[in-house]
Formats: sequence, C-alpha cells, structure tokens
Amino acid sequence: MTFTISAPPHKKENITFKKIMWAKVLALMPAVLLSVYLFGLPAIGLVAASIFAAIATEAAIQKAFGQKITIADGHAVLIGLMVAMIIPPEVPLWIPMIGTVFAVGIGKHAFGGIGSYVFNPVLAAWLFLSLAWGSIMAPASYPQTSALFELVLENGAGVMAGVSPFFILLAGAVLIFRRYIEWRIPVAFFVTTVLLAFLLGDSLSYVVLGVVVFGVLFIATDTSTSPTTKNGRVIYGIVCGVLVVVYGHFANYVDGTFYGLFLANCVASLIDNNTLPASYGTETFLQCKYRSIVSKIPFKDRLEVFLDD
Amino acid sequence: MTNVYVMEKIPEKIIIPLKQHDGCLCTPLVSKGDMVAMGQKIGECECYDSASVHSSVCGEVISIEETANPNGSKVNSIIIQPAEAVECVDLTPVKDVSASKLVDVIKDAGIVEHYGTPTHKVLRPEGKQIDTVLINATSSEWIGGHYDTSAQYASQMIDALKLLMKAAGASKGAVVLRNDDLESINAFDHLRVDGKLLTVAPLMGKRKLSYYFKNMGSDIIVVSQERIYGQKILDLLTYNLTGRRVSFCCDPTDVGVAICGVKSAKALYDAVHEGRPYIETVVSVSGKVNSPKKILVKIGTPFKDVIDACGGYMGDTGKLIANGAVTGVAQYTDDVPVTKMTTSITVLSADEVIRDVSIDCTHCARCVDVCPVNLIPSRITAFADQGRFDECRQMNILNCVECGRCSAVCPSKIHLLQLIRYAKNSIENAYEDLSSKESPANLKLGCGCSGGK
Repeated sequence: MTFTISAPPHKKENITFKKIMWAKVLALMPAVLLSVYLFGLPAIGLVAASIFAAIATEAAIQKAFGQKITIADGHAVLIGLMVAMIIPPEVPLWIPMIGTVFAVGIGKHAFGGIGSYVFNPVLAAWLFLSLAWGSIMAPASYPQTSALFELVLENGAGVMAGVSPFFILLAGAVLIFRRYIEWRIPVAFFVTTVLLAFLLGDSLSYVVLGVVVFGVLFIATDTSTSPTTKNGRVIYGIVCGVLVVVYGHFANYVDGTFYGLFLANCVASLIDNNTLPASYGTETFLQCKYRSIVSKIPFKDRLEVFLDD
Repeated sequence: MTNVYVMEKIPEKIIIPLKQHDGCLCTPLVSKGDMVAMGQKIGECECYDSASVHSSVCGEVISIEETANPNGSKVNSIIIQPAEAVECVDLTPVKDVSASKLVDVIKDAGIVEHYGTPTHKVLRPEGKQIDTVLINATSSEWIGGHYDTSAQYASQMIDALKLLMKAAGASKGAVVLRNDDLESINAFDHLRVDGKLLTVAPLMGKRKLSYYFKNMGSDIIVVSQERIYGQKILDLLTYNLTGRRVSFCCDPTDVGVAICGVKSAKALYDAVHEGRPYIETVVSVSGKVNSPKKILVKIGTPFKDVIDACGGYMGDTGKLIANGAVTGVAQYTDDVPVTKMTTSITVLSADEVIRDVSIDCTHCARCVDVCPVNLIPSRITAFADQGRFDECRQMNILNCVECGRCSAVCPSKIHLLQLIRYAKNSIENAYEDLSSKESPANLKLGCGCSGGK
C-alpha cells in the first residue's frame, strides 16, 4: 500500500483564483446582455474585440518573457470585459483594443502581473483613453435614475456598466454571499458616498447609478489594489467614497467614480501599512489612557478588587 | 453519548516507542527475548522531562530497533509479540497520597499530554509555581476514555481535576468546554461538587476566569468557550481564559497555568483509582474506512490493525493522517504505532489528495478574515519566503496557533502554514542557545514573564 505524504493542511477549500475570475465574468453577463438590448449589436463587437485584444496581449507578453501562459485563469478576459463595459459603445473598435492592450501590457504586466499591480488595469486603461481621445470617450449621455424602473434598466446610460444598477448589485451580492469578493469595502464605500452626496445636496438620482454600483462592487474590490487589513479595508472604502463624491459633486458621478477610485488606489498601500493589527491582548489607546488614569489614583489597592474583574 | 468501541483483537505485534513525548529518550529496561507482562514498565526515564513507557500487552520482546513513528521520524522502539496468556502486573490503587507522591505516581504511570509534554512536568515545572489548572475539553475528541454515561465522564473529570490541582499544588481549577458541545455541557450542569451545584458558565466578552471564580464562590468551575484549534493553541487559550500573556520562548507554566487534556486527566484518574499505567487510549478513526468509529486501543497497536478493526480501507487509499486532517502528519506507512500523542486517524481516498500549484498572492485577504489571532498571513508569508524573519516577528508571527485555516482558504494555493512554520522554527532556533551566548557578565535577558503581572 502506498501513501502520499505532504505537509498539512490535508483538506482545503475548493476555491481557486481561476474560479473567482470566471465567476466575476459570469456575474457581469446579465449587464452585458441588457446592454445588447439597449445599445444594439455593436455592444457585442465591442466586448469581443476587447476580450480578444486582452487575451492576445497577455499571451504575447508571457510568451515573449518565457513565462507560463495563464490565459485560462480568466483574469485577462475579465480585464477585457470590464474595459469594454466602461467605454461608450459607439466608439470605433480600435479604441477598446488599444485600451485593453494598455490595461494588460502596462497596467498589469509592467507592474509584475497578478497581485503586483498598483493601479487597477481597467481604470488605468480608462484614464489613458480619456486623456488621449477625450472627444471619442465622452459618453453620449450622462444618466439619471429618475424613476424606480430605471434602477433595472437605465435608459440614459452612456456606458455598458451603467445599463442596470439592479443587476450589477444582484451579481455583486451573490459574489459577496459566496465570499468571492469581500464586503467591507463595498459597504463602507457605498454608505460614505450616499451619505456625503446627501449632505452636499446632490440628488441621489445622480448618485445611485449603474456605473457607481459597478465601481463599488467590481472595481473597488479588486484585490491587488485594495488593502488587506480588516480596518484598512473599511478606511479604504471611506476614502473611495470621499474621493468619488469630491469628483462627482463638481463634475458628474460617472467620471467621478473612475477618477476617485484611481486616486484611492494610490493610497491603498499607505492605508495597508498603517493599519497592521496589533498582537491579541494588546491594549487599545483608550484602555491605555484608562489604565494610566487609574494608576494615579492613590488608594488603588482597594479599588483593584473591583478593577480585577 | 458517543459510543467507544473496544478493540478486542490482539495485533500480531505491538510497537512501543521509547519516546512518546517531547523530551529525552527512555532507557529500555528489557532486552530481546524477555517476557513482559501487561502494565510492566519497560522504559525508564532518566531526566525530568520524559515519562516512563509501559508494555500494553503480555508477550515476548522480539527486538529493540528504530521504527517509524507517527510524528514522521524514526524512534527506537520495543517490539513485542503478544503471547496467548494474559498476565498482568499487580495493579494497586494509590489513594490518599501526598502531593509530591502524586507527582511520582503520574511520572511512573507515564502520563503525557496530547501535545507532548509529560503531565508531571506541566504540573510541577522546575522553578515555577502553578496556581491554576485547566482541563481543556474544547477539542472534538472530548471523550478521552471509556465511560458508561456522560455523568460518569463529568464526575471523573472533576475528580481528576482535583487530583491535578493537588499534584500541582494549585488552588484553582477549571474545566473548559466548547459552547456548541451541548452533550458535555449537560453532563456537567447540575453536578454536585463538595455539596455545591455546578453551573457551566459561558465565557462572555472580556471576562476572564478570575471573575467566574469570584462570582461562583468556588475554586472549581466549569466554563465554556468558542472552539479554537491548532497545533499551538496553549498560549491563546491561556490568554483567553486567564488574561495572562505568555512571552516568547515561554509556555503557560511560566505564568502559573497548567493545561491538561481530557485524555491525561482520564489516565490520571485510572492511575490513582485502579493503579493502571497509561497503556490504552481512545482513537477516533474517520474518513474512508468501512466503519468509522471511536475505538479504545492499546498503545503500540499499529495503525494497520486499528484500521482493520474499523472494517479496513474503503477503495483507493491516498493518505493516512495521524491527528486530524487539518494539522496532522501524513504517514508513509501504516506500520506506525498508536502513541500517547495520537488522538485520531484519518484516511483520505486517492482523489481527495490535493495537488495544487501555487500562484502569486492576489492580496484577496481571505486569510486575514479567517485568522483567529489577527495576523496578516499573506504578508508574513511573503516575508518568510524571502527569509526576512525579523520582520515576521515584528508582525507577531509567534502568536500563530498553526490552525492552517489560512492555507485552507487560499485561492492562490500558497503554502501559508508551511512557510509560517519555517519562519517560526528559524526564529526559535536562533534564540535556542541565547542563554549560553549571553554571559552572566552581560545584561541578563530573561523571558520577561513575571507571573502574568
């Protein structure tokens, strides 16, 4: 009888990076189908061109540098899909292709591949395209969800990510429920955005948009560009919210989401480094203060009977 | 009540390792060809940190050689061929003995904690004073012996706790149960101890045992807490229960806490009330065997025979694991014996064997979310991989309880537990000969423990 030997643990959860990526791609499909209904067949061409360019770039780069080709893990496909979803559907096909080549080539691989990039490749591509071809990249319309029905199908959507806040939210909720994406960032982000927009007097119909929900659930939660510590993720969500509202209040919430998140990416590692958790049993700041005050009380020996509990 | 089966069939040979604890090897008292009786002491400990070894059967010593041990290494062992006749040494109960005599009883009975330290060393560590004795019944194998009813289990545990407290010279003792283990909680609830009714108190918030001792007005209490598991949970358990922090290179005995398992408590009870040394133990067999069960076996029974007693292997066997599928050691042969440190045997089928290729960390923070001691395993692992152990230490790597949850949830399939252990071992090795490096003329570097104050 032969036995396999290996180091523990001998049982692991059946979760892989590949599975998470394809789940995200699948989760975005309802929005893509709805955008075909809204924008017509060109939307399909846009998605196809974008994904094709992303896969080709990834394969070419990994081949050129003699790395293992990892197209199958779905990360390139996800980048391609997400880039296609945040540019206006009526652009010429070379725009998404240049965008994804930039996203995969510069945004992802120039920084060292998965897990190493500082800026979300999708946002980097959007920023690059917006700066280079500003007039083409301006969406035909900026949306407003004036009726409740618009939360399901947003008529004024300028980009594919904005077609349906409801379906994006549903997809994100399923992913959070399956623990494929985490919940602290989206919750902190969304609450901050809505609260600040409300305090500043922005109408929520300009804030609760498909693009904002997409940014909250799919862009801000990108694992490589967000902090890892528990507190850090909450702070990161708040920072995202503040930046998005700052941009959104003075411009619009579609561009504001992307610019805000891009800037938030810059501070992610700063937040991470400054929120490292202390060892268990370490006193918090307030407990330290309390103890230092108590220690100054002259008859503390008698008090200690109570303090001991 | 979980049924515990008794293994009736005597195996063809019994392998008794001369070292079933962390410490030095015992010297064999028998030689090849000798006849031994059941319960006869066959290995004697010379130094304080080891426990005696007894024969669990009656038979002939056929050889003394190095054989495979469930911890993965090879250990000098006495191999006994059981004889037809059952001859047992005289078992004399030792009741009403003094505290120091009780420690000798424990040492002679060869009682060892399941984490490896001999029980007498836990209770009477050299140069340290124990004030609290805890029986940790939070693990899944709560029945560490053969009991008729759960009430019997509860009362024997309380008796054993009293004995442990007496041996340690401790004034306070507690049995720690698990919140979701209703069976044991019911067993302990409304038990009478010295005329007082026991109530199982769940640990709430930041309250520690000292509160409960005072609140109940008793020196013996039973509390329950969340389940914690892992290879190195003692420090965390000590902190959770007593609020005392255990410093680096120290163990709970440094802060006056002795932690015993259910199994050793039961073994002590047997040693005192029946005079029987620690020669049999309950092992829970699970996984791909035909009839998984908890079974009482003699120490030294090869895994092969234990599995045969559980109906044999089911289908293609991939892995044989001692002590749990999460943190246990995979065996390369089923000829290894059950030792005092064996609590369970798990069999995995060939298609359950994980073959994963690690990829880069994506900082998904799943490991951070599951860590029971608030570490950042992903970052610690990156440092460990680069050999930056000082930075690992700054990130509190020594708090790690080695539960392996981070490895289990990692989508990138990084071997987090292995890397963390590697770093921890390196740090511990670096500090091992610290005292000899530090000459007395230099500044004295102690462990910093001061009885938890």
